[in-house]
Amino acid sequence: MLLNSVILVLQETLEAAVLISVLIALGRQQRHAPAWLVCAVAMGLVFATLYAMNIGIVSGWFDYVGQEVVNALLQILIVVCIVVLFWAIFHLRPIEPGGQKSSATAWFRFFAAAIVALAMTREGSEIVLYLGGFLHQPDKLPAVLIGSGIGFGIGLSVGLLLFYAVTGLARPRALRVAVYLLALFAGNMLAQSVMLLSQADWIAAGPALWDSSAWLPERSITGRLLYALVGYEATPSKWHVISYIAGFMLVVAVALHGARITKGRLMAPADQA
Amino acid sequence: MTGKWLPRLGFMGALYCQSAAATPPLLEIEIRDHLFFPDVIVIPANTKVKLLIKNLDPTPEEFESYELNREKVIDGNSRAVIFIGPLPPGTYPFFGEFYPRTAQGKVLVE
Repeated sequence: MLLNSVILVLQETLEAAVLISVLIALGRQQRHAPAWLVCAVAMGLVFATLYAMNIGIVSGWFDYVGQEVVNALLQILIVVCIVVLFWAIFHLRPIEPGGQKSSATAWFRFFAAAIVALAMTREGSEIVLYLGGFLHQPDKLPAVLIGSGIGFGIGLSVGLLLFYAVTGLARPRALRVAVYLLALFAGNMLAQSVMLLSQADWIAAGPALWDSSAWLPERSITGRLLYALVGYEATPSKWHVISYIAGFMLVVAVALHGARITKGRLMAPADQA
Repeated sequence: MTGKWLPRLGFMGALYCQSAAATPPLLEIEIRDHLFFPDVIVIPANTKVKLLIKNLDPTPEEFESYELNREKVIDGNSRAVIFIGPLPPGTYPFFGEFYPRTAQGKVLVE
């Protein structure tokens, strides 16, 4: 029970830890104070608890596939928020030409907080449900709580390591790394939403495009870690792969296009006036 | 106008019949004392199947299968629907992620 708690909580925490650490590093790179995180985590905890408490009602929607539809919607919203975040970073100037503070900070805070709160709602609700199930089993509760604590601690440590790794890089490189890490996250979110909609039979489930389970099984520790970090699937369908690439490319394209505009703006002195 | 609409209605009718004919077979699984009943289900190859999972335990469980690419939380004393397939012949294990030591099962596709 203890080991299972470690793995389960680590798997759910890892995704959020990576996301939060990259967003704080990105905010720091953009010189935004991380105060938004407190609000985001608080909202995430409240939404996760509310979602967990009402999971029975949500599951009953749309002929018992409401959970898939809501989760897919949460994940699509995360992708939209990541795209808007990078649009704001590249298209809004941190300081207006007149010296006034621009809306860039407000945009960053709002969308970074929304991404964290949405991600925590989905992942956190599973932890709340898991732990809630043991509240009436006092014999198992201590082992489950210790295991969950260990899993949470490991997840947090990986997040911290990643944060220092990204912030330790030079500014332009840190931004580039954050773009690619969040692009991977967006690809994973979009691919997972496609998988959920096919589970709900809202979209057709296609055959597996390849099978790498003999080479790297999903149930192995490495497979599970890679699943949590980058959405590794041993037998992905065609639509799973297409949606992953689409989510990844969308974020990279917005960032590359924005970077080109920013560069052009810096090189045009007339625009600075 | 009638000449245009009649074939369209015919087409819609054909679609309706097709979707009615394609209603996936329903299979029921129960979760009791953190065990799946039945723990082995046999389904035909290349056919979409609707699984109705009834969790009769008071505690929540998460139906998970790496091979089927499926995961879903099922609250205590409630039910859930999961569509699987069409699948090629083979064995597809599934388990309850919250109680994996006991909640084990597999789908045999023949």
